[in-house]
Amino acid sequence: MSNKVLGIVNFEDPTASVEGLGDYRPIPAFGFLGRYRVIDFVLSNMTNSGISDIQVYCKEKPRSLIEHLGTGQHYNINSKRGNLHILNGEKKPISDVYNHDVNNFMQNMEFIEESDKGYVVVAPSYFIYQIDFGQVLESHINSGDDITLLYKATDNAKEEFIGCETVQFDETKKVIGFEKNRGKYKNRNISLECYIMSRKLFIDLVKRAAATSSLYWFKDILREVINEYTIRGYAVKSYVACINSLKTYFKANMEMANLSNAKTIFKKDWPIHTMTNDSPPTHFYPGCIVKGSAIANGCFIEGTVENSVLCRNVTVKKGAVVKNSVVLPGAYISENAQLDHVVVDKYAIIHHVKKLEGTDDEPVYVKRRDRI
Amino acid sequence: MRQNNVVAMILAGGRGSRLLDLTKKVAKPAVYFGGKYRIIDFPLSNCANSDISVVGVLTQYESVILNSYVAHDHRWGLDTKDGGVFVLPPMETDANGFNLYRGTADAIAQNIDFLDQMDPDYVLILSGDHIYKMNYDKMLKVHKEKQADATIAVLGVPLKEASRFGIMNTNDEDVIIEFEEKPAKPKSNLASMGIYIFTYKTLRKYLVEDMKKEDSNHDFGKDIIPAYLNDNKKLVAYRFKGYWKDVGTIDSLWEANMDLLDPNNELDLSDSGWKIYTEDVNVLPQYIGENATIDNAYINQGCVVDGTVKNSVIFTNARIAEGAKVIDSVIMPNAVIGKNATVTRCIVAEGVEIKEGVSVGKKDSEHIELVAKKVVE
Repeated sequence: MSNKVLGIVNFEDPTASVEGLGDYRPIPAFGFLGRYRVIDFVLSNMTNSGISDIQVYCKEKPRSLIEHLGTGQHYNINSKRGNLHILNGEKKPISDVYNHDVNNFMQNMEFIEESDKGYVVVAPSYFIYQIDFGQVLESHINSGDDITLLYKATDNAKEEFIGCETVQFDETKKVIGFEKNRGKYKNRNISLECYIMSRKLFIDLVKRAAATSSLYWFKDILREVINEYTIRGYAVKSYVACINSLKTYFKANMEMANLSNAKTIFKKDWPIHTMTNDSPPTHFYPGCIVKGSAIANGCFIEGTVENSVLCRNVTVKKGAVVKNSVVLPGAYISENAQLDHVVVDKYAIIHHVKKLEGTDDEPVYVKRRDRI
Repeated sequence: MRQNNVVAMILAGGRGSRLLDLTKKVAKPAVYFGGKYRIIDFPLSNCANSDISVVGVLTQYESVILNSYVAHDHRWGLDTKDGGVFVLPPMETDANGFNLYRGTADAIAQNIDFLDQMDPDYVLILSGDHIYKMNYDKMLKVHKEKQADATIAVLGVPLKEASRFGIMNTNDEDVIIEFEEKPAKPKSNLASMGIYIFTYKTLRKYLVEDMKKEDSNHDFGKDIIPAYLNDNKKLVAYRFKGYWKDVGTIDSLWEANMDLLDPNNELDLSDSGWKIYTEDVNVLPQYIGENATIDNAYINQGCVVDGTVKNSVIFTNARIAEGAKVIDSVIMPNAVIGKNATVTRCIVAEGVEIKEGVSVGKKDSEHIELVAKKVVE
């Protein structure tokens, strides 16, 4: 059934802004949980669901994303019968406010129009969750609704998913309103900004959005048509994270360092595909202390690592202590450095006797290739 | 035209019977090594890193897993348009019916059609059994410079051990003047590594002739090299320095794994300039639990460690449950060490489960114990 679907991987709007990390690459290309990138989750959801025609729209700095996505072969996309299009928006940089999804869709409209798929799954790449789109599509077709929207019910909206869109439903789960989550209420339904609809309706809505305002995002036009079209909610049961700030990036990594949380997304028969780096296994030296952590390959650990996520090829020297931290690939934590609640970007070098301490709400960020 | 016009042929048909149950269902080249690799990853990665784009893999014994494993040539970056990994098992022919490979030389000879189709100037013969890193391109340069008919890679071994190897006696210019198979009184310590570069045109002639000989072993060391020497062909020794290991026994396979725990080990798998590529298994990073103790270990992704691991190598997706102790051991993929179980000086084979509370292996054992079946008590 999913071979009737065109997958469209969308990008986040500017309210998602990740301090530091976001200066170097778009959110989908962020390293996550040691060996993944954020975009691996949405793409794996699509390819595992049998979607083999996928367009990835990117907003900015596409280099790291393009490198990571490659031909799509490692996501199980067939090299002949499948397709991975990486599509850029603006021909020339005009202004940030025009760099939105509708503009990007309009500029690449010919590729959407020439698709032979009956349906589209539109999903942004900054959410992490597990869903079988095949089941969603089946439910969508059976319901006869115009649009099916994925949501996550949370009882902690005061703390989590700040800045995300919330959805109001009537008693039949029909969408009757959207509102930004400003953390005022406990119980909220969070929109995952993932929509299933016919390709024809998608094209109509994109064109209508573009004609209405040159500043409209796709979600702006949806807000306007809730009375015209039936948009119904479909609940996602897995763990859900939205990577829209340094705090949420940090928190999601920390939560995934707990194996029972991770298992709600990493299921048997549901591989999360990523690009391999061919790093050797991780080397734990005599005298190291490692507890409660998720660790990728290629690391050298002589010191202490607790409740942390280490990406590949990270070095932790003797006497160094890394606690409650996320360390990105190739970073070097030298002798006796003390880290607590820190996000260390790629290839950063932290020299000895330096203590860095952040909090859950405000983790310290160490820049890419920085030397401290 | 391909870059260096050499075709590599990896001899991967051997059983490796001294590896006991580890090679019951797979040929020796498919045996696991080093936390995430199979032995054949080494010659394949060496080929890829040496810019060799056509690699034939000659399989015979228990070849189901090996054939499908190497056929995924993209794993080693060998999936170029004009190259690839070609699986070459024995075949049925019109002239001779179905033939097994009778020896190393016969295996190549039976694939002369493949080589003719590839039309190489040089053929590189490799073994799929050895763990080492080597730049074959450098060896090829020497072969060309010295205008050799054949170049043989040699390794300096301790003289007292030389009688276990095929020994090359050379003149001052590393030209081989004599070859002795396992000599009682070795005259040199240069052991053949089973790595040969041949100029194909000449080799082809010798192979065709050797096929016809009834009394031949159809072996490079026993037949082809002596025939070359007999005809005064130019054979050159290429001296290799570095880590090289033939992991023929359970003890030596264990030792080679333990070598990786030495921070200064010569093999250096973390050298990004000469990566060893392997299957990309879709698994999580490794999870080290709250109560785990890890002291001197080499652990691959997908493992979940809640117990104690000391001086050990732990392969993809192995589970070490709470209270379990793994000491001086090698735990292969998907093995499960149950709660409070103890494993000492063992190789635990792929997927084997050691039940809760059970103890296997001994601290002072002379040999390493292979645990290849589920252990309940």
